[in-house]
This record gives sequence, C-alpha cells and structure tokens, in this order.
Amino acid sequence: MTDDELDPLRARLEACIGEPLSEFGPAVAPDEVNLPMMRHWVDALDDRNPVYLDAERGASTRFGGVVAPPAMLQTWTMQRPRIEGIAERGGSSGEIAADNPLTTLADAGYTGTLATNSELEFERYLRPGDRLQASTVLEAISDCKTTAIGRGYFVTWVTTYTDGAGETVGRQRFRILKFDPSSAGARS
Amino acid sequence: MTGGSGVSLRFRDIAAGDELTPLDLAVTATVIVAGAIASRDFMPVHHDRGFATAQGAPDIFMNILTTNGYVSRFVTDWAGPETMLRSISIRLGAPAVPDKILRFTGRVTDTRQEGDEGVVELAIRAANDLGDHATGTVVLSLPLDALA
Repeated sequence: MTDDELDPLRARLEACIGEPLSEFGPAVAPDEVNLPMMRHWVDALDDRNPVYLDAERGASTRFGGVVAPPAMLQTWTMQRPRIEGIAERGGSSGEIAADNPLTTLADAGYTGTLATNSELEFERYLRPGDRLQASTVLEAISDCKTTAIGRGYFVTWVTTYTDGAGETVGRQRFRILKFDPSSAGARS
Repeated sequence: MTGGSGVSLRFRDIAAGDELTPLDLAVTATVIVAGAIASRDFMPVHHDRGFATAQGAPDIFMNILTTNGYVSRFVTDWAGPETMLRSISIRLGAPAVPDKILRFTGRVTDTRQEGDEGVVELAIRAANDLGDHATGTVVLSLPLDALA
C-alpha cells in the first residue's frame, strides 16, 4: 500500500479519535498519593530533593510541606499487574480490550511498538492523600508512514489526571509508532 | 553553579546559555529494575533479559517513567528544592541499557517573569554510546520572592 491510496484501516481508526482508549481508562488510582511509594521512588532513583520526604524542609519551601515527585504522575494510576501470564500477553498488566485501536492495528500486522514522544504537564504538585483518576483519549492517528523499522502508524493519546475534586492536576501526551516489523527496509 | 539539594538557584542568577551541571548515570540492571518497579511498570522488557532480547532489544531497557524521573532529578539537582516543573517533553531514541553511562546535559534556552514566578526553559539531552536516549524541553518555575 502506498501512502496515497485509500486506507480502510485508517478510516476505521479515524472513528476512534476523540474517544476513550478503553484499555487505559478511566483508571482510578488503587492508592492515594502516599509517602511509602514516594520513598520507594526516591530511593530507586536516588533523588535527594528534600521536598519529597523531609517535612521540615518541605515546609520551608513554597510547597509548605512534602510533595510527590512530579514524574510519578503516571505511577499513581498504573493498573495493578496480574503477574501470571504477563509475558504471554506481551507485557500488558491485564486483559486488552478487543475493540482497542492498538489491538486493531496489531491484528492488521502492525505488531511492533516503539514509543517516540512523551509530554508531561504539571498543573500542581501532588500531596499525600490526593486520590487520582486518569482519563485517556485517542488524539490522533497518522497516515501510514514508511520508516526505517517498517511501515506503520503514529498513534497519539492524551491522559488527563484529575484529583478527588475533579480538578486537573496534570496531563500526559504519548506517541507511539505501531509498525509492521516484516516491512522493515521496504519502500512504498 | 548548582542548587543541589540545599539552596535553590535565584531566578535573577539564571540566564539563557547557562549550562546545567551534567549528570552521569551508571545504568545497571539494578537501576533499570528499581525504576521500573518503583513506577509500577511490570512490562517484562524492563526486568527480563530473555524477554527483551526476544523482542529485538539488546538487553532490558529503562522505562519511560524512569527516564522522566531522572530528567526531573537532573533538573532539580541543579535548580534546587523551590523548583516546580511545569512540563517535561521528550523525544525518545536509543534505549538506556545496562553497563552504559547515560549522560544528562542541559542548557537554559529562555527565561521570563510571569506574575510572582520566574519561568525557565531548558533544552535537555540524555545520551549513551548508542546515541540520544531522550532529547527535549523542560519548563520550570522558581518563586521570585526567593530573591529576598
């Protein structure tokens, strides 16, 4: 298929744009923002910014107390994993919905996944006790592109994180290339 | 010039062209697995070498949440605890794999005042000998009243 031909697969995916990605959300955080998970992160990344754990130092800053490391935003709403069979599911924490556009692409031979862009925005820093919810919407699907690793589609989704009051605390825009590994090196 | 984990940089002392203090991260399997599990990412490519190589990767590789976490650490190690990150936008490239140094470098590209905050834009890069792992833009603010 050339990039110019009518692309029925893309037309099918087009219908999903602006719709929730059922695999990803809305997801309710299993736990509120909490100090033990923040400490785990601080130690894992050896990040010694005192505002994450030191109540006294945090109180002396504009935050007025401890705040969660901002890059943990996505961590709070990560799906609880089902470890058994995770490799057989290609690494997915749980079952994948059959109507997911990513599944549609995989079924059409675009089985490879390459993450290309991540854009995190923080409206405010989180504090212990915040309970997050994440809603993910498919934002864009490109035309079929020929890349060095094969032909594929760039898929972009946006996750909006809200707190218990329904206020937006942050967003993540994420783009991946779903590609057909067998078409690597092909020219359209 | 560094804020370190002690004092924060003052906005008035930051100017376009300033270089951030580089961070050389000795990436090991432990670093990758610790970050993956702390971020609750159980994808086998981030902890199971056999699974990762079967997927065509050279080894297990760092997950994106951890990359964002290290970008955050790199920036706040420099600017200090009063830093509030507004955004981290990265383009992803070469994988961060064990036994390769991941070097974080950055440069101030713009500064401006917005209300009672000083806003600083940074161009950042994390690279190993496979190439650029992540390149992009970080926007942060510092409180202007820290001028006192």
